[in-house]
Amino acid sequence: MKILLIEDDAETAYYISQGLTGDGHHVDMEANGAVGLRRAVTDAWDLLIIDRMLPQLDGVSIVHTLRQRALTMPVLLLTTLGGVDDRVDGLNAGADDYLVKPFSFAELLARVAALGRRPPRLAVETTLAIADLEINLLDRSVTRGGAAVDLPPREFRLLVYLMNNRDQIVTRSMLLGNVWDVHFDPNTTVVETHISRLRSKIDRGHSPALIHTVRGSGYTLRAPP
Amino acid sequence: MYATLTCVSFGILFVVVFLSTTRFMRHQIDDSVSSEIEEILAASGDRLFQGICGAVDGLSKHPSGFLYLLENTQGVAKAGNLPAIDPQQGIREWGTTGHGAPAEYAGLRGRGLVLPAGFLFVGWRTHQLLEMQEMIIGSFAWGLAASIGLAVAGGFIMSGRLMRRIETVSTTSRTIVGDDLEQRLPVTRADDEIDHLAVSINAMLDRIADLMRDLRQVTTDIAHDLRTPLTRLRQRLELAKRAEAPASAAAATFESAVVEIDSILGIFSALLRIAQIESRSRSAGFKVIELTALLDTVAELYRPMAEEKGHLLIETLPSSLRVLGESELLMQLFANLIENALRHSPRGSTVEIEARQIHERVNVSITDNGRGIPADQRMKVLQRFYRLEVSRTTAGNGLGLSLANAIAKLHDATLELSDAAPGLCVTIELPGIA
Repeated sequence: MKILLIEDDAETAYYISQGLTGDGHHVDMEANGAVGLRRAVTDAWDLLIIDRMLPQLDGVSIVHTLRQRALTMPVLLLTTLGGVDDRVDGLNAGADDYLVKPFSFAELLARVAALGRRPPRLAVETTLAIADLEINLLDRSVTRGGAAVDLPPREFRLLVYLMNNRDQIVTRSMLLGNVWDVHFDPNTTVVETHISRLRSKIDRGHSPALIHTVRGSGYTLRAPP
Repeated sequence: MYATLTCVSFGILFVVVFLSTTRFMRHQIDDSVSSEIEEILAASGDRLFQGICGAVDGLSKHPSGFLYLLENTQGVAKAGNLPAIDPQQGIREWGTTGHGAPAEYAGLRGRGLVLPAGFLFVGWRTHQLLEMQEMIIGSFAWGLAASIGLAVAGGFIMSGRLMRRIETVSTTSRTIVGDDLEQRLPVTRADDEIDHLAVSINAMLDRIADLMRDLRQVTTDIAHDLRTPLTRLRQRLELAKRAEAPASAAAATFESAVVEIDSILGIFSALLRIAQIESRSRSAGFKVIELTALLDTVAELYRPMAEEKGHLLIETLPSSLRVLGESELLMQLFANLIENALRHSPRGSTVEIEARQIHERVNVSITDNGRGIPADQRMKVLQRFYRLEVSRTTAGNGLGLSLANAIAKLHDATLELSDAAPGLCVTIELPGIA
C-alpha cells in the first residue's frame, strides 16, 4: 500500500514507517500539517495516517478538508489524548479509524490492513463463506459442514466481523469497538471468553480449525490454503 | 481624626457650659441683689432717707457677702461699706481693674437705685463667678487634655493591637508558605472580623492540606505501583542481556517486557482518563441514553467471563430506563463495577444487576455475595490506587473504582458502597429524565 504518514514527532514517525515498510508498505512522511494536506490531495494514496496535533494545521481539520473535497481515501487518525470527545470528533470529521498512542505494532498493522482492504461492500452480498463455514446474512443463519450452528445475536455479529476481515488479524480493541461498541480497555479476558465460546460452536468437531489466536496481537479467521 | 473630633465636641460643650453657667450666676447675683434692695426698702418702712440709712448701717455690720452704699443727693456716702460713686440707675459690673471707680469696686456687680433723697447701691463680689469660670475653664482644659490623651493613647493601643493581629496573620502565613502547612492562624475569643478572616483562612488551609496529602499519597502510590513492574522488567532485561542466555529466552523476555510495559501504560492512561473526566464540566454533549439496553450490553459482554468463573450474573431491569449522559462513559462505569464484582468474589458467587426508577432518580445497584469491603474502608476504596490488602494479589491497578466515581460525579450521580451481608452492594443513583 502507498501510505502518507503526517506526523510531527520524528521518532514516532520513524517507528511507524519502519513497521509499515517491514510489512511491505510504501510510506512517505510529512511533519507539517499544511504541507501534508497539500501532498495528500496532489498524489494518490491508499491510506493516510494523520496525527491529531500538527504544526500549522491539525489532523481533524485535514480530514475535514479532504472529505469536503470529496476525497474518500481511508484515513487513520492518531492521538495521544484518547478522551471520548476526541474519538467522536475525529470520526465525525470523516476519519475511518482512530488509534490512541501508545499503541502496539500489531494494533497498528491490523488496523492498517483492515482499512487498506476495506472493500466496497456490495449490497447484493448475502452469503459469506470460508471453507465449509457459511453465513447467510439475510436469515442470519450459520452452517458448518452443512450442519446448522445456533448463535446468539452478538456472537453472530462477532463471526460476521471476523468473516469480513478474514485472513487478517483483528485485535481485541477492534473487536470491542466494532462488535460491542466498547471504546475503552476492559479486562482483556472478556474478549477471549467470547472468542472461545464462538470457537467451541464453530470449530469443535470440525476440521480444519478456522478461528486462530495470534499471540500478542489478536485473532484471525483463516482457512488453510 | 478621633482626637480632633473629640476636641471639637469638647470645645462646643465647653462654650455651652461656660456661657450658661456665667449667665446663670449673673442672674443669681442680680436676683439676690434686687431682693436685698427690696428688703432694705421694706425694712426702712416709709422709705425715708433716715430709715434706709439705718437699715443699711444695720446690714453692713453683719458681713453677709453683700456690699452696700447709700449716698445723699450731694454724692456723699452716708452709710454702707463702699465709697461713693456716681449714682446710676440699674445693674452695673466692674471688672477686676475697677475702670476708674474706687478700688473697692473691682470685681463687683450690683444694682443702683436712684432714690428721691439719694442713691442706694447693693453689690456682690463677682470673684465667685470668676472662680467658677476659672474652675470651668480649668476643669475643661484638664478634661480636654485627658480625653485627647486617652483618645490618642487608645487609638494607638487599638490600632496597635489590630496591627499586631494583622502582623500575626501575615507572619503565620509566611511560615505556612515557607514550610509548615500544618500551622494555623490564631483565633481569639473576640469573634470579630479578623477572627472571621482567620477562620476562613484556616478552613482554606485545611482544604489545601487535604489536597496536598492526597497528592502526596497519589504520588507515593504511583511511584510504588510503578516501581514493582519496572523492577521486574529491569531484572528480566538484565537476565536476557547475559551472553549465555539462549536466543529463545530473549524473545520470551521481550514479549513479557512488552506485557509489563503495557500494564504500566495502562496505569498511566487510567490516571489520565480519571484526570480528564474530573476536569470536565457536566457536558453539553450528553444525550438521552437507553440505560436498560446499555446495561444489557455490558452484562452480555461479561456473561461468558462470569460463567467461566462459575459466577451467576443476574439482571433485573425494567423494559425501559432513560438517563442523560455519555454512553461510552456510563458503559465504562458499569463495566468497571461488574468487573470488580466478578473479580473479587469467590468462585460460584452471584452478581446481580438491578435497576429501577425511583421518582426522578434512576437507581442502579450491582450486588455480589463475595467478601465485601469492611465499613471503615468503603470510602477509601474510591481513592486512587487504594486496594484492600486481601486484593493486593489479584489483577487490577486500583483505579477502577476511582474512575467509576469520577464518571458518576460527572453525571451528577452518587456512588455508594454498602454491605450486602454478605458481599458488597454498589449503588449508582443517576438523575432520570422527567
